[in-house]
Amino acid sequence: MLKSIRPKNSVIAAYLIIPVALYIFTVFAPLVAALFYSFFEWKGGPTKTFNGLTNYTQLFNDETFWTSFQHNLFLVAVCIVGQIGIAFIMVLLVNSKLTKWKGIHRTFGFFPSTISAVCIGYIWLMIYDYNKGLLNWILEAVGREDAKKVWLNEPGIIMLLVSIPLIWQYIGYYMVILLSAVSSISTEVLESAEIDGATGIQRARYIVLPLIKNTLLVCVTLCIAGNMKAFDNIYVMTKGGPGYSSMVMAMYGYKVSFEQSNLGYGSCISVGIFVLALAVIGGSQLLLNYFTTDKYDRDEQKRLKQIEKERKQAIRLRAKAAKGGSANV
Amino acid sequence: MKKKLLSALLSVAMVATMLVGCGGGAATETAGEASGEAGSLAYSGNISMMHFSTSEESEGNGGSDGFRTCIANWKEANPNITLDETVLANGDYKTQIATMAAADDLPDVFLLQGMNSISWAEQGLVYDLTDSIASSPYSSLYNMDYLVPFTVDGKYYAYPALTGGTCTVVVYDEAMWKEAGFDTFPATWAEVEAADEYFDGIGVDTLGFGNQGQWNLNSCFVSCLGYQYTGTQWFSDIIAGNGNASFTDPEFVAALAETQRLFHDTDLFNEDFNALTNEDARERYISGEAAAYICGNWDVSYIQATLEGTDKYNTTKFAVLPQAADATKYEKFQNIGLGYGVAINAKVAEDPDKLAACIDLAQYLTGTEFSNYVGEKYALGGFCGSDFDLSAFDQFTQDFYNFSYVDNKGCEIYDSYVDGSVWSVLNTEMQEMVNGDKDPATVAADTQAAYDAYLGK
Repeated sequence: MLKSIRPKNSVIAAYLIIPVALYIFTVFAPLVAALFYSFFEWKGGPTKTFNGLTNYTQLFNDETFWTSFQHNLFLVAVCIVGQIGIAFIMVLLVNSKLTKWKGIHRTFGFFPSTISAVCIGYIWLMIYDYNKGLLNWILEAVGREDAKKVWLNEPGIIMLLVSIPLIWQYIGYYMVILLSAVSSISTEVLESAEIDGATGIQRARYIVLPLIKNTLLVCVTLCIAGNMKAFDNIYVMTKGGPGYSSMVMAMYGYKVSFEQSNLGYGSCISVGIFVLALAVIGGSQLLLNYFTTDKYDRDEQKRLKQIEKERKQAIRLRAKAAKGGSANV
Repeated sequence: MKKKLLSALLSVAMVATMLVGCGGGAATETAGEASGEAGSLAYSGNISMMHFSTSEESEGNGGSDGFRTCIANWKEANPNITLDETVLANGDYKTQIATMAAADDLPDVFLLQGMNSISWAEQGLVYDLTDSIASSPYSSLYNMDYLVPFTVDGKYYAYPALTGGTCTVVVYDEAMWKEAGFDTFPATWAEVEAADEYFDGIGVDTLGFGNQGQWNLNSCFVSCLGYQYTGTQWFSDIIAGNGNASFTDPEFVAALAETQRLFHDTDLFNEDFNALTNEDARERYISGEAAAYICGNWDVSYIQATLEGTDKYNTTKFAVLPQAADATKYEKFQNIGLGYGVAINAKVAEDPDKLAACIDLAQYLTGTEFSNYVGEKYALGGFCGSDFDLSAFDQFTQDFYNFSYVDNKGCEIYDSYVDGSVWSVLNTEMQEMVNGDKDPATVAADTQAAYDAYLGK
């Protein structure tokens, strides 16, 4: 860069300090504070008593917390399939030559993700309503009155029911991300595959998916992170009920912290959520990497690693030998 | 240069936005320098205050209207004092005030919920108001029973605020029940079950209830039905934590069992009671889809405002919970109290003049001006007694006044006492219990475990 237009280092640092300060203030400081308070018995107010690992012992034995974790895992699994899976199919459809008004499809697809989660919760609350809800109205209209249910009071299916609004809301969001990735694939590659006789499914499986692997990884990471901290629309629809049937970790943390005024244990739950979310994200990335890389690529990667290892070893030996030689001289 | 200026402005705007964001979403109403008669207080400056009497709330709720009116009067009478009010909806208020208490950053004056009294007083967050209550100009008019939720070790920590309202009332349509063969609301659950056949036949819910919020079944049902089984001493012992009562006592478990039977084994209630909010459930009463509705005084205010001028307004009456067949301590119980009190941050005591101003405000907001206002306008009662002509009100208001203050035996509202950690467990598990997914004994045992943890056992 020309010296005359390059700002001084101090100016660059001054600009950069704003996002860094923002990050420290909004992410890092609360996290460290939560970790600190998780070692205290703190029932609100200025009195805090250090209790070592008692909160963590309680957390390991807290059935409700682990049930909530399972609910989060269920949400993650359902939403990866529902949000990213359906978004991928929609991307292929929107990208198809046969599809008209692509812009309209993109806009309307993205629209639900611009609505606040609380409003989404209320919309679906109305859909699931026992007396005036759309779902029971449809069942009645098709003569299946016997299938009518108080949907949000069904512990067996409640997690699936609260997942549906989440899926509906974010399909468009992932669609836009995947669409940008798919758009960057050269049309020549797809056309030559078509000429070679590859079907649509084969093109999607063997060409599109491997080429957007990194974007998919980002989508999966976002999806997991989003669903590990799911709270708002479930809170609106069920408050975690009936009982603990739709309780998720963030809501449990909120309940413990504010309804039960147990801020020390609530902080411990927050730390638990953070650690578990990291573990799930890390695990999923390993799995995804494994499944999106075929055997040939894996062998090739192994071979390259081996070559690199041998090269480094050879350099080390050569250096050692040179050192020994010079010493002899 | 222009670019530099623009950059600097944007940076300032960004930081300002961050700071404003950190201040929370509360609507902060700052009183301007009110004109009017100067107050007699020595203090001059700011007093921060937080409460939940929003303007929307005050439109249908006499207590909130009276509270806001008295705040406005006090501000006008004390132009040297600027009252910085933070007004939130009740649900948000509970979360916000708990957060501020945790940060030891309570406003100067705020509303203390009964169940937080012990914990906050023990941590020195709230100022001891015992002497000021004794020396208050209104002390001879105070109903001292209302102080119980704010009493810790014999000391008082708040002036009971707003209006004494019932938490459990059966609101019913007299005309509909007459058609079912009952001139008044049945006195026993067996009779209600008999009426259920008629209402089922015409496609109307016998009783409406909403428990999506989970607290409703406790505050508006078990907290009253429980007394039919345990009598009054049991809950006094629970409050005292003296070991003479426990949630696993057979009487309390029997109350839970009866609750489960009524909600799960009979068709008395709307099928979706666990998925419906109390606001939605009361609409079903208003629209005639339920013949009766079990609720608290806040719902009655809304029903009154909504039905006024209709035929249903004239046929809406009030009753206590019917008697359970195996309840041995039955009386016409209705749980009533003042769940919140005006409290003062203990730190205010560092400035005696400011403390005097805060006490003056607390006394004014719970004194005769407030009681007279809500009495004369709404026929409601507060911490102070008031004298008004009940016959000047319409039948609906008179009936509800008599229900609340004259005809029935008052009992305590469970969740005005003890601790949120106990009620959170009971409320959540009762939701499963009334679905038939958890037995009453387990719910009682889990609640007792939370109670033991609270007592530090």
